[in-house]
Amino acid sequence: MAETGSFLEPAVLARLMALPVHARHAMLGSVSGKHRSPVRGSSLEFAQYRKYVPGDDTRRLDWRTWGRSDRFYIKEFEADTNLRLCLLLDTSGSMGFGVEGATRFDYARKLAGTLGYLAAKQGDAVGLWSMAADRVELPARRGASHLGLVLEQMGGLRPMGGTTLIGALHDVAERIRQRALVIVFSDFFVPPAELKGALQHLRFRRHDVAAFHLLDQQELDFDFERPVRFVDMEGGEPVQADPSLIARNYREAVANYLKEMDELVRTTGLDYHRVITQERYDAVLARFLLGRTPKTGSR
Amino acid sequence: MTFLELSPLYALPLAALPVVIHLIHLYRRKQVRWAAMMFLFTAQQMHKGLSRLHRIAILCLRVLAVFAILCAIARPLAGGWLGLTGGAPDTVLVLLDRSASMEEVHPATGVSKRLAAVRNVSKAIEDAVGRRSKVVLIESGHGKPLLLEHAGAMTDLVETAATDAAADIPGMLQGALDYVTTNKTGRTDVWLVADLQRSAWAQESGRWEALRGAFAALPGVRFHVLTYPQVPEEDLGVRVERVAQRRSGEKAELLLDLRVARRGAGAGAGPLEVPLRLVVNGVATTSKVTIQESELLLQAFPVAVDRSTVRGWGRVELPADAFPANDVFHFVFDEQPVLASVVVSDDEAEAAPLAAALSAPAEPHQKYRCSVLPVKRAAEIAWEQTGLLVWHAPIPAREEAIHAQMKEHLAQGRAILFLPPANPGAAEFAGLSWGAWETLDPPAGPDWWRNDTGLLANTRDGTALAVGGLEVSRLCKIGGAGIPLARLPGGGALLMRAAEQPAYFLATLCGAGSSSFARDGVAMFAMLHRALQEGAGTLGAAQQRIASADALARGGEGWRPADERAVPAGEMVLKAGVLASGKQLVALNRPASEDDFSTVSPAVLKECFAGLNVQILSDAMEEGGSLTSEVWRTFLVAMALALVGEALLCLPPRRAASPLERGAAGAFAVHFSKS
Repeated sequence: MAETGSFLEPAVLARLMALPVHARHAMLGSVSGKHRSPVRGSSLEFAQYRKYVPGDDTRRLDWRTWGRSDRFYIKEFEADTNLRLCLLLDTSGSMGFGVEGATRFDYARKLAGTLGYLAAKQGDAVGLWSMAADRVELPARRGASHLGLVLEQMGGLRPMGGTTLIGALHDVAERIRQRALVIVFSDFFVPPAELKGALQHLRFRRHDVAAFHLLDQQELDFDFERPVRFVDMEGGEPVQADPSLIARNYREAVANYLKEMDELVRTTGLDYHRVITQERYDAVLARFLLGRTPKTGSR
Repeated sequence: MTFLELSPLYALPLAALPVVIHLIHLYRRKQVRWAAMMFLFTAQQMHKGLSRLHRIAILCLRVLAVFAILCAIARPLAGGWLGLTGGAPDTVLVLLDRSASMEEVHPATGVSKRLAAVRNVSKAIEDAVGRRSKVVLIESGHGKPLLLEHAGAMTDLVETAATDAAADIPGMLQGALDYVTTNKTGRTDVWLVADLQRSAWAQESGRWEALRGAFAALPGVRFHVLTYPQVPEEDLGVRVERVAQRRSGEKAELLLDLRVARRGAGAGAGPLEVPLRLVVNGVATTSKVTIQESELLLQAFPVAVDRSTVRGWGRVELPADAFPANDVFHFVFDEQPVLASVVVSDDEAEAAPLAAALSAPAEPHQKYRCSVLPVKRAAEIAWEQTGLLVWHAPIPAREEAIHAQMKEHLAQGRAILFLPPANPGAAEFAGLSWGAWETLDPPAGPDWWRNDTGLLANTRDGTALAVGGLEVSRLCKIGGAGIPLARLPGGGALLMRAAEQPAYFLATLCGAGSSSFARDGVAMFAMLHRALQEGAGTLGAAQQRIASADALARGGEGWRPADERAVPAGEMVLKAGVLASGKQLVALNRPASEDDFSTVSPAVLKECFAGLNVQILSDAMEEGGSLTSEVWRTFLVAMALALVGEALLCLPPRRAASPLERGAAGAFAVHFSKS
């Protein structure tokens, strides 16, 4: 089991602490928090007027409006609630790509761990789902002890086996009943058409879905000199190939795939981040957090 | 295909080495754990067929390269040589030059050009086409097609043995053309094997153009010309130009005019003492002579004989060298025949000085006789006893019997001197004809004449004839192509010889009204007696003839070698030697043209076959033969091509831009637009 220190760096956490984790949609939290709720509450921020209907609390009637218009209106205010952050980690074998200690999975774990930590620190609930054969399911809960459990589980995960990303996403969409910020960390080496269905399922459940698409530069360049025996990290048949012959076709396939991913992002409204794992992860996170900061300013 | 070196063939399994190495590499390739297999599969799928083809092509080229180098080391013979030209043809025609010049031997191997040619070609054909093709031999001796069981049989045939005759390459090709057209041979390979002797190729002959046209019209005829262009570096040759007998008191001797020629590098290398072996009626004597420069002319060289010996045969021999065919010359002798000549003329004034000159003895021990006949009595000419015919009358038309008799007269080696008639007709003879008379005012004398050979050549002691002092006042132009022997100012021919026969045309008359020939006398006397001497070679019981298929055409039957050597009957006339039949003796020798080593150039050779499907090869006659060399090069070229092809196929493709280099901007644009 990896120490949390291996994927949580205090310096990075300190730098990013100033950037809160925001949801882009209203959240249905159980306690008061920093995030907008779809339920009108009793905060100080005015939301709207609406006509009185029998059963409404008469204490919320706006008498001044009645005096001016001789009609009953209910004055509603915004409710602030907490956030449920669900971290979905792809733990298929392909996530183990990269040099020992700096694999794609290590990178994903740094992103997920840091985000979880930041969310927990601002009082939000954090949950963890691993998407592979032996699943980890930790529903989002608040509290330092739960965060510790999430990080501990995260540290114990290992990338192995075939990918079950599509099924896992559908499963998660069914299991997370309340609105949540769902962040997927994966290489998404699945057909984009199938992925689209799973992401739309999550969106249908009114989750705020973000995705970190983690790619290695070598996977894009495919710049091998000599014939190579490629061993499938997810256990499939090995492939003998002469990169000098197929490199052009390989790059063409990657380009087509990325184009399809772009189209998927456009149609699903996904908060999509394509990340080359050779980038610094704190820069990626800063970009992510800044991108989610409301334009009107943080509350 | 066969190979000279068999041991490298045991290494042929090494040709599979590239495949084995490929398989080893396949299983010992660097392993990479890879995640993005979906792209790899897609790329493989897109490139699958082409990739496999590419890999197979590279492997095949590598195997071919190794195979080619092994084959090259094994020195393949002929198969590859022929194999490159296509499959087995229906018929293979072998045209073999077995003239005397083909008997030149390679100093290192001791093998003659002819023998090397026969061996190489028979093996080449045998190896390449086996017995799948009909093999027909046309050799230069008889020129008749001879169907062979297989090409290998050529080496044992008497028809491929050495001869001392000349070759006629256009004639052989004509024979091949006749055979192909008559027998409809289908796809035919014609192998012409010859040296490049100029006289045999006769490139100036008009026959070449006709042959090219005829062969070009035949589909499926390919030529392989195997040439032997070597000439001996140093050579000595001997010829006997005249044989006479002299008796004085108790002493009898043969007088031989001998010409010993020295050719090649040693021609100007200072005096050379040469042992000359003379054999007369089986008795040999040896004399030493010294050649100062390139030629030694021994006139009336005496050889003592028994007084009772009046007829017999003999030969002159030189030590053997690289060209043995011209180291021996045979001769025969008998009582001197009467050197008879006939002047046919209706003009007595013109005929009288001619007859007088021809009756006067040029040699004291020789008998001469000349008769004058008017044209209407020309049928009375005793052709068999006449050495020279002087014809002062219109040229007989082709249909006339006298025309055919004249041709036969020439074919027998006898001479005719044509003088212009008062009314020249349009008829021609031996390619020459008369033109119109013209008067020269003032009279002119020849400004050029051949003084090295021919009727106006210098005397034996080198003194020039007084030809330049002659005056010609009337001239009848000579038409047609011949060999000019004397010219007048302005280029008009005064004396011309037909190309291949002893037929002479004198453009003026000898009488006082036309020229000073009769008045000056000496030039006319020499001219007439030389023509008579040339034509008299076939008179009498002992004759000198040129070895050829028709050398004994009119000589009767029952000929046998006088020296009892064993020669197949059909080959006797083609080999130098002495033949006897009854009282007749004939010495057969090589033609003078075989002593001429001048060759045609490769450019001329190509020109001869211009427009035809031809492959011209040159045999260096080295140990192992040039055929090996040719195939060896072919395999090396194949190997080089295979390696170049392999290198081209292995060139890495131009690197395409990384997908993110192309798509990153778009991807991040999506991200920022969302944010």
